[in-house]
Amino acid sequence: MDENTVNNRDEQEPSKPSRRNFLKNIGLLGAGVAAGAGALYSGDIFEKKKAATGESKVLLTQDNKLVEVDSLEMRVLAKNPTKLMLEKGREGIPGKRWVMVIDLSKCRNARRCIAACQDAHQLKPEQYHMNTLQMQDSPGTAPYQMPKNCQHCDNPPCVAVCPVDATYKRGDGIVLIDNIRCIGCRFCMAACPYSARIFQWTTPKDADKHNGEAYNVELNVPQKLGTISKCLFSADRCREGKLPYCVSACPNGVYYFGDENEDAVTNGTSKETVRLSKLLRDNGAYQLMPELGTKPRVYYLPPKNRLFPFEPSTD
Amino acid sequence: MKRPFYILLLIISTVLQAEAQNPAWIVPDDQKGKISLLKFTPDMAKQGEVIYMKNCQSCHGIPTKKNFAAIVPSPGDLSEPIVGNQKDGELFYRITTGKAPMPEFRNILTEDERWTVISFLRSFHKGYVQPDPEKLAASAGRRIKLSMVYDTAKRKIMVKAVELTKEGPRPAQGAVIVLFVQRYFGNMQMADPKTTSESGYAGFEWPQDLPGDKAGRVILSAKVSDPTGSMQEAVVRDTLSIGVPTDKPALTDTRAMWSTRDKSPVWVILTYTLAVIVVWYFIIYIILSVLDIRKIKELNL
Amino acid sequence: MDKIISDLSHHIRLNKGFFLWMGFLVLALLACTYAYILQLRYGLGVAGLRDYISWGLYISNFVFFVASSLVGMLISAVLGLIGLKWVHPITRIAETIAVAFAAVAGLVIVMDMGRPERLANVFIYARFQSPILWDVTVITTYFVISLLLLFIPMIPDMAVLHKRFGSLPSWLKPVYKTLSLNWTDHPEQNRIIHRSVYILLILIIPAALSIHTVTSWLFALTVRPGWDSTIFGPYFVSGAFVAGSAAVIIAMFVFRKSYKLQDYLTDLHFNNMGKVLVLVAFVYLYFNINEYLVPGYKLKRADAVHLSELMTGHFALMFWIVQLGGLLIPIILLLFRSMRRPLPLTLISIAVFIGAWFKRYLIVVPTMSHPFLPIQHVPENFRVYTPTLIEIAITLFSFILVLIIITLISKFFPVIPVVETARDKGLDPLKRIES
Repeated sequence: MDENTVNNRDEQEPSKPSRRNFLKNIGLLGAGVAAGAGALYSGDIFEKKKAATGESKVLLTQDNKLVEVDSLEMRVLAKNPTKLMLEKGREGIPGKRWVMVIDLSKCRNARRCIAACQDAHQLKPEQYHMNTLQMQDSPGTAPYQMPKNCQHCDNPPCVAVCPVDATYKRGDGIVLIDNIRCIGCRFCMAACPYSARIFQWTTPKDADKHNGEAYNVELNVPQKLGTISKCLFSADRCREGKLPYCVSACPNGVYYFGDENEDAVTNGTSKETVRLSKLLRDNGAYQLMPELGTKPRVYYLPPKNRLFPFEPSTD
Repeated sequence: MKRPFYILLLIISTVLQAEAQNPAWIVPDDQKGKISLLKFTPDMAKQGEVIYMKNCQSCHGIPTKKNFAAIVPSPGDLSEPIVGNQKDGELFYRITTGKAPMPEFRNILTEDERWTVISFLRSFHKGYVQPDPEKLAASAGRRIKLSMVYDTAKRKIMVKAVELTKEGPRPAQGAVIVLFVQRYFGNMQMADPKTTSESGYAGFEWPQDLPGDKAGRVILSAKVSDPTGSMQEAVVRDTLSIGVPTDKPALTDTRAMWSTRDKSPVWVILTYTLAVIVVWYFIIYIILSVLDIRKIKELNL
Repeated sequence: MDKIISDLSHHIRLNKGFFLWMGFLVLALLACTYAYILQLRYGLGVAGLRDYISWGLYISNFVFFVASSLVGMLISAVLGLIGLKWVHPITRIAETIAVAFAAVAGLVIVMDMGRPERLANVFIYARFQSPILWDVTVITTYFVISLLLLFIPMIPDMAVLHKRFGSLPSWLKPVYKTLSLNWTDHPEQNRIIHRSVYILLILIIPAALSIHTVTSWLFALTVRPGWDSTIFGPYFVSGAFVAGSAAVIIAMFVFRKSYKLQDYLTDLHFNNMGKVLVLVAFVYLYFNINEYLVPGYKLKRADAVHLSELMTGHFALMFWIVQLGGLLIPIILLLFRSMRRPLPLTLISIAVFIGAWFKRYLIVVPTMSHPFLPIQHVPENFRVYTPTLIEIAITLFSFILVLIIITLISKFFPVIPVVETARDKGLDPLKRIES
């Protein structure tokens, strides 16, 4: 305290330090310190969470199972289902790191993935979480169809710029959006190099029908005017042990989805489960624009030995 | 002018292609007679519904609701007579083998699970009477019992097949065994199927780099896969601690630019806070001292 | 002495011209408010923005406003601290422009939000890593510092005008009395003001550099071609000086004409401001060359698309008009003394000012128009951005608001510092107050 006082005097009125000014300085400094402490405290909460473990308690669940719960993890359930889902949606599924593999040799632009996705997420026809793009890397190389969704980057540029923690990355790798909090600044759209994000510019599809429904952050429905949407790796389905909507809907076996920690991905069409590392190695897998350092969680298998000829779509 | 023509051509060719690619789905005669050895009960239908919802509903919709997916060829509503009039063996064959775009469920659902789904579907088919399983039980093929151990020296999973005969158990030679390891979205087949030796053993190389859970546990299942039907299906499941113990931290465990506010890099918090404190300290100081101007006159009077 | 006071304060009266001008501004503001109400009701879709070009007019305008507000720091702090006496009559004009543009810049960014009613979230959930929090912080800070720099040197003027009220509107008297803070020209009072202004002049330099550097980071912290640049900070700051200097020159001309200040804003001031403008324009030109030549030499894939769209493609016409008419030709013209006389200089400044606005558009929109991956399977209006009438009206709203703020400040307070001008001429109006 003495040291602070001396400093303040120096900054203020070296010639004539009045008693009033002196007190004022202390007050000012106090306010400053409080602001700084507040900022640091928020960081501290995280450290504490990491370090401390409470005692565990044994509880009886509704389906008559005895479960052991860490008392720090227990919380009283709020009556508000939206809030409940928002809280649950912030926590990833423990031990998982979701990964998607897209086999370009099998895509013939059937667009069933898109239809299933738009249906699940209440999207209009021109709104894409998943879109198939006609690509041609250079004039001499062959064109191909490339399904493109959010890459759920491990270094997500979109999440970095969000001013309000509305979009966030979970422990299991999924990048989600909390549209109860989103302010609609669209900085994330500008930051995303994959153009993965869309915005609800006008009243979302079937807004009247879904008006008043609880908001499910893992499905991002009902969609909200003036907020962001994008591919969520079907976080709701992953929780239930089901493959994402697009993956299950593909008739051509393009998609694999699974858990990197298990080293296994399951094909959405054949339901065959294969080793991720072998699939990537044997097929020369690559990622989209890895030079940007975004570390995507989506891999592509190159379009060689194609099952279908390239057909340009009409639009 | 050109465009409508092109679209028309596209439609015609698509239709023709669809026709060409979809010859009738014929079930071999010897498969048609296959029946369930389990009695279809309402309980079983309920279990079947769970399996159906997870594996079939995304294309076929909910039976009687006609909300199946718009795919070519159409998956159809499975409560319709076109399905109801088929024999149990036909349905079983179709589920087992699949036909693009319908997946093959041979290795996704066990035989019992497939029959359970059929029992669910039969609950919608009016006038269906189940053939008596008792009568066929006798001629249903050889009964096999499986067991597995991990041979640490050979680094192999040894699956043993034992045939249960009237004379007692004896090693079953020539049984085709498939080994699976359970993963989050389904069972992953390990290596190619192996045929049991004279002593009833089939050995599977165990990859040393396959991740298990935190303690290295993996759930394995082996089953008899006999295309001729001379052996009844048999399954064994076991949990072995032979995987690589895997306990990767959550991806959000470190402080990062992209992480939440609570996990902001310390230097960002400090720089921001310090800058704000320093600048606003001076601003507030100036405001207060300027307000002091009012007092000075009185002091001098 | 009396002449100085009456010359510098005679415009403070509610005349017909003022009511006509304000009436016009308020009506226009109301019309444009209706456009914003439409946007509130139907969503941002009433603007021409869509999923790929998701930032457009509003963000360009925001950058422009932040840029224009930067001139307060250039004139007051940089030129003032060097000790150039000729800037004294201009400082208040510069600070007025700074305050008006900085205040409205905050509003412009709210107009671009999809959920303006959730503005408080920016403070509640403030994320230290987001440049938006930095931007909000520095703009607020800069606004407050500019406001103080406008007000504090005005305290003695308030006292003078209060004592020697003359024919000013009577209701202003208590306002001046309050704002004069019982000023008696006591040495201690002078000391406080002198020291406060000095600290603020030093403080405003990092604050001003921060606001435009952080604003440039809204773009430069992404990986998109055209934005992914390390010189964006100084590039934006130098561009801001160009826009701001032009704005000050235009304001000087208007005040000189309508408030009859020819004796105080002389040809010398215009000549000097012309030199300032040509200097900062040269610096800006230098950064422009860096910004286009370096990627243009290498032609990395995405940069090549960006540059060809700018220079020969969809944006070529606007690009060349802005670069030539808004920067290169003004630089050449301003090298001649005759072009730095009030009228030609003002005309050139108008061209520079308009060019500066479109330059911001050219920084924001083309980069969004060609992302890394192709734009496919979407309606035509997703590919090509055309601002709508509503969007233009909302943008006009912000300009009208700036004009209203500048008009009000300049109408009720002396545009040119009274006491400072008198002292520069060796007079002291306050001595006479005491007696």
